[in-house]
Amino acid sequence: MRWNVLRSSPKTTIERAIGAIALVLAALGPLVFNQYWAHQILIETFLFGIAAASLIFLSAYGGMVSLAQTALFGIAGVILGNLATRGGPGGTSKGLHLGWDPTVALVVAIAMTTAIGLMFGAIAARSIGIYFLMITLTYSVITTYFLGQVTLVSGFSGIGGINRYTPSWIGDLTGHPNRLYYVSLVAAVFTYVLIRYVVRTPFGITLQGVRDEPVRMSSLGYNVPLHRTLAFGFAAFLASLSGVLYVWWSGQIAPGNVDLPETISLLVIAVIGGLARIEGAWLGAFAFIIIQNYVRGFTFPFLGFGGTLFGGSFNTVIGIIFLLIVLISPDGLMGIWDRALAARSRVGRAGPSAEAPARTGG
Amino acid sequence: MRRSGLRSWHAAALAAVGIAVGVALIGGISTSSAASQAKTVRVAIMTDCKGAFGFGYEPDIGGAEAALARYAHGKAKNKKKPSAGMTGITAGGANIKIVGYGCGNDTVPLAVTETKRLMEQAKADVMIGPLSGDEAVSVANYAKSHPKKTFIIGTAGSQDPTLQIAPKNVFRYHGDGAQWNAGTGEIAYRKLHWRKAAIIMDDYSFGWTSAAGLIADYCAMGGKITKRVFPPLNTTDYAPYIRQLPPPNSVDGYFWVVGGTGTGASLKAYEQAYGKTNPKKFVGNLFFAFLGNFSEVAPRLVGAYVGGFGTSPGLKTKAARAYEGNVAKIFPGLNGGNYADGFVYNYYNAAWALVQGLNKSHGALGAKLQSSLPRTLRPGYQVSGHGVLHLDKNRQAIQDQWPLQIVRKGGKPALTVVGFVPNVTQSFGGLFKKSSPPPGRTQPPCRKLKTPWQGKIRVVKNGVVTKGVIK
Repeated sequence: MRWNVLRSSPKTTIERAIGAIALVLAALGPLVFNQYWAHQILIETFLFGIAAASLIFLSAYGGMVSLAQTALFGIAGVILGNLATRGGPGGTSKGLHLGWDPTVALVVAIAMTTAIGLMFGAIAARSIGIYFLMITLTYSVITTYFLGQVTLVSGFSGIGGINRYTPSWIGDLTGHPNRLYYVSLVAAVFTYVLIRYVVRTPFGITLQGVRDEPVRMSSLGYNVPLHRTLAFGFAAFLASLSGVLYVWWSGQIAPGNVDLPETISLLVIAVIGGLARIEGAWLGAFAFIIIQNYVRGFTFPFLGFGGTLFGGSFNTVIGIIFLLIVLISPDGLMGIWDRALAARSRVGRAGPSAEAPARTGG
Repeated sequence: MRRSGLRSWHAAALAAVGIAVGVALIGGISTSSAASQAKTVRVAIMTDCKGAFGFGYEPDIGGAEAALARYAHGKAKNKKKPSAGMTGITAGGANIKIVGYGCGNDTVPLAVTETKRLMEQAKADVMIGPLSGDEAVSVANYAKSHPKKTFIIGTAGSQDPTLQIAPKNVFRYHGDGAQWNAGTGEIAYRKLHWRKAAIIMDDYSFGWTSAAGLIADYCAMGGKITKRVFPPLNTTDYAPYIRQLPPPNSVDGYFWVVGGTGTGASLKAYEQAYGKTNPKKFVGNLFFAFLGNFSEVAPRLVGAYVGGFGTSPGLKTKAARAYEGNVAKIFPGLNGGNYADGFVYNYYNAAWALVQGLNKSHGALGAKLQSSLPRTLRPGYQVSGHGVLHLDKNRQAIQDQWPLQIVRKGGKPALTVVGFVPNVTQSFGGLFKKSSPPPGRTQPPCRKLKTPWQGKIRVVKNGVVTKGVIK
């Protein structure tokens, strides 16, 4: 451990330390935080962080800013809701309510969402930039209208009561919300580790090459659209994890969960956190959810709005923060953090007790 | 090198302390909260402040708070703005604290978010609300997972919350959307001689339930529905949906179940397609008469029949006058002085029932409160059973209904009650069951049957229920 400390840059050391503290704090979450924070704010942070991580993965390592992640998140939730819930007296009143075994429904929901993601990706893989953005926005809009119009599987009301149908190995999540807390935490850590692993594999390295020099990679013989498609499928898999966690947490899924404002919200989370680093996903989700939860008590002085009218003050505050982030730090909060550490490092080098440069190992 | 490591850890520790302080300041760290004052009942009022029914915010809160003022000693902070709050509310030896007002937009996601905020962040014990159909479905699903919390639906008319889902901690002291329309389809059949009709309905739980009442009542008489059209809620351009309706020369009339801001917009789209509206070809649900649409709808449709809201504007009974007087005294001019609007009335009755329940449970909550909530109530517009409204075994009101008509009075369009349908049950005489699918695009099918009130709808004239029946 000490050897690692000596070999690592100060920035890496600080980040690892903060990461370790955050992880310990998160692991002790239900003991450390009050019930609302543990079961609402932090679970939401974990699960929306996963969805944002899928977006950031595509952006940071594939050069693709996708607006379809919210749709994929919703598709997973709707599939799970249709497969797992039961109808009849006292049951769920909407959807197909097929009453499958929840574990089978879970696997099928994730697999189907990943397959749909691969299909979406295959269509969008040959476009770049604004065109890619528009195609993925189209996926989002199609999904919203499909769910709203096809009342057989959802309808405007969506499907409710899904959190009563969880796999036996997870147990009752409504009666024991700490279980959902830890399931979400494990899923978030799994997502982070998986992304870090994937980007170091030959596939991940190639994907980064595709991001930076698609023409050169193509001329070297790499199948650029295939790599993009696979990356999109992988991101869909991550979004599906977020989607199933969401329906276990919220109990419901409806077209309103995947509409344009929600799509933009996920993008805002990713931008606030930082589109360049995976860690930004959870940082952005945490900031967004805190603002969402606590800004409603705030009324703009002399402007006469905010306060009780949920949405007015929130949209304004989140809009101002979004603008500030875009203007001051396009890499989001993680970018601010990176620059602060870089500035500290420069000051340290210039001072009388200047330390060795960042990378001293080797 | 070593100093660098130490400084890094130092910075990390500082950062961690900063995060911890920030979290604690916001209130997230679990602390031994100050012992809550003995017997404080935390009540949340959930309604809409945005979306198609956003204008219901103050009328809903005002209705609930008027009952809390009348029966539980509450003092309004601002007589013109109910959402400013209320102090001094007590019942059953407990202080009632309004811990928050929920602000939905008639969609499920925000209803869930707001319900979680009120019940888990604001720690409400009881919720009065929500306002809208899908919201009530989501709240009922939520209630099922939180049996210790109590939910009294504000004014939502979807059928599912108290029939198919029906958690034991959900109560509704008013009819659902189908109940509110009892008798209206029969009037279309008997008075307007409709035999073939089309229906346009908002594509969500309340639209379906409200339409179900019209369809069931009309088809029960032998009428036929030739086309059902479903515009999504919050549609702005109704032209494509109007074009799906059969033209006026191929049907006897249209049942119109389009609400919120869509009512006027859909009628305008009809006029653009087929010309001036003929009141004899239109029967609306409550959206024609209430929820802020009357001034826009009524001039176009003087003479049209309208489904009710469980209320009887202008009813000349002691109970009706007492109710209206109570609201007027606490919040004069609330909802433009239209206290017979279900937005005000249903929230009023919900809060009144809560006060009665708390009085009986001596401020106890959870299962004790749920068993103490009244199974009967004497609301202002209940006439049958000597003015006593009963809840059925699913804690759903069996309520008198009042079909309406748009008329001209003193040169201006006005609303008048034309019929009295006593004690309408949610089952609609056995058509809707716990095991039957909830109302939807194709539910219920158009089928001839015998409703309990068929041929027994009493004529109401000048606010008085007569002995004559509608023929």
